[in-house]
Amino acid sequence: MSINAVGRHLPDAIPGYGPVKPFQGAAARVPEGHRDGGRLRAVYGGKDKVLPDLKAAIAASGLQSGMTISFHHHLRNGDHVINAVVDACAEMGLRDLVLFPTALFGVHKKLIPHIKSGVIRRIMGSVNGPIGQLVSEGGMEDPVVLRSHGGRPRAVTSGDVHIDVAFVGAPTADRYGNISGVGSRSACGSLGYAHTDAMYADCVVAVTDNLQPYPISRISIPQHYVDFVVAVESIGDPAGIVSGSTQITRDPLRLLISRYASQLIEASPCFKNGISFQTGAGGIPLAVTAFLKDAMKRRNVKGSFGLGGITGYFVDLLREGYVERLLDVQSFDLEAVKSIAENPDHIEISADWYANPWNSGAAVNALDVVILGATELDRDFNANVNTEADGALLHGTGGHQDTAAGAGLTIIAQPLLRGRIPCVVDAVYSVTTPGEVVDALVTEFGVTLNPRRTDLVEACREAKTVPLVPMEELVDRAKKLTGPMDPVVTEERIVGVIEWRDGTVLDVVRQLTPRK
Amino acid sequence: MKTASAGTVESMDCIVTASEADPGSGVTVQIAGASAARFGSAMRAAVLSVVSKMGITDVTLSVQDNGALDLVLQARTEAALERLKGGDVA
Repeated sequence: MSINAVGRHLPDAIPGYGPVKPFQGAAARVPEGHRDGGRLRAVYGGKDKVLPDLKAAIAASGLQSGMTISFHHHLRNGDHVINAVVDACAEMGLRDLVLFPTALFGVHKKLIPHIKSGVIRRIMGSVNGPIGQLVSEGGMEDPVVLRSHGGRPRAVTSGDVHIDVAFVGAPTADRYGNISGVGSRSACGSLGYAHTDAMYADCVVAVTDNLQPYPISRISIPQHYVDFVVAVESIGDPAGIVSGSTQITRDPLRLLISRYASQLIEASPCFKNGISFQTGAGGIPLAVTAFLKDAMKRRNVKGSFGLGGITGYFVDLLREGYVERLLDVQSFDLEAVKSIAENPDHIEISADWYANPWNSGAAVNALDVVILGATELDRDFNANVNTEADGALLHGTGGHQDTAAGAGLTIIAQPLLRGRIPCVVDAVYSVTTPGEVVDALVTEFGVTLNPRRTDLVEACREAKTVPLVPMEELVDRAKKLTGPMDPVVTEERIVGVIEWRDGTVLDVVRQLTPRK
Repeated sequence: MKTASAGTVESMDCIVTASEADPGSGVTVQIAGASAARFGSAMRAAVLSVVSKMGITDVTLSVQDNGALDLVLQARTEAALERLKGGDVA
């Protein structure tokens, strides 16, 4: 038993996970040794890597029961690849597979029978919806391991996780394995989450529904990483792959929160020429960006880059000169997909480049401002994004930890209540991101600053534009509105392990006791 | 059996359904929905306080919650009970 730097009691080892390295601080762990890598292979001659179907590719890959298979989530809720590959594995009699996706979506609930029948033994990656509920209720033998977008490539490059076969959904591929994220009806833009897997897996299989003659253009993952190519009818449903234009919130409460957040940014030392930001695709963050754009115009401030998941809104900022570049690990909507294919200042980056703490410097390190959400925040500013109020493990970590650790100003912006559930509590149920890297919470009651950031406290007092609310007051207010909370009732058994981006353990998630 | 209800399933509201119960059977409260896991005790107390204030001893109440605060929950409970009592079962 040990206590980590966010005060969580952790066992020395967890069945199905192994020894626990307790979290020591956001930048405490220093790696040793050299990078891991995939199997060496040599291909002398040959002009074609196309195999007739998935089963042929699975057989050729040498995949066996118990091995680890990886997938990217750029096809989001439209993805057909993961379900089809696991179906094929099941039909071929493979069992005990370790699924290592960059994320899973609602569409992947079709995997549940494969979990129950033992085809999938373990999931390392985010779980949500029905699979999250199943895991939370103890439906999987080994605990799920939650890693951030940077923690995952760190685990791969350092050898914590070895990928036996990477299946890469490819909107376009040629017969010798060059892969592009654009150029077809299943276009998803950036293939950022797939790069590291392609470089470090023992075998890489491209799965495409747009097979082209050699060579294609706008290549994301080049042929020398790819072993086999399979053409299928469809890799995904375009309606689920990209959303329509993401809408800025019109809810007055959320607009108020967004205005406060924008005023905080304007008052902060970050607000100057060269400012960079990440805001994702949520309603509030997009509105913050809109208010920020007004402020930049008014005060004649030019930004440098927008980072992370890119939307049409950021594409407009690039086009209108508010930022010089977009660094895109994931293209959220049609506008972003179109832009990355056409505009050389809209740059595709890998998850390693984006957020891995164990390389020679990730993009998040250069980030000034990030706007995030969280299910709850506590008095110490620790944030929980993984578990819901009822204790169910329903959300992945995403880039939350990485951007919070990298950005000069990390803002969590959201209403004080979601229904009756408060977003501030005495102690969060699960720690996803430690309070030491969270700078401000913005609610409809104003801006709550982490007292550690005395510079921000001073800047806001001087600017006199943002109402400041101490954390104590906010917690009390929430308690008065919602009443006392009942505790979550759990078993001892651990069903999820939440790693910090450096591979140390921040927290564990325990199996829920069925409610009577 | 006579029943009456009040409320909606909008966010931060709830539907409270009150049903007649046999004399001497007491007050039964069932709670389901968004806040049940963490606020079950507080919600039960809020509902029971309305029941006792109205002097009702035998009734079955079912709450389908979508994040209602006590203020709303109590108003919906009162309305459902009034409707049951008054025969207005809309």
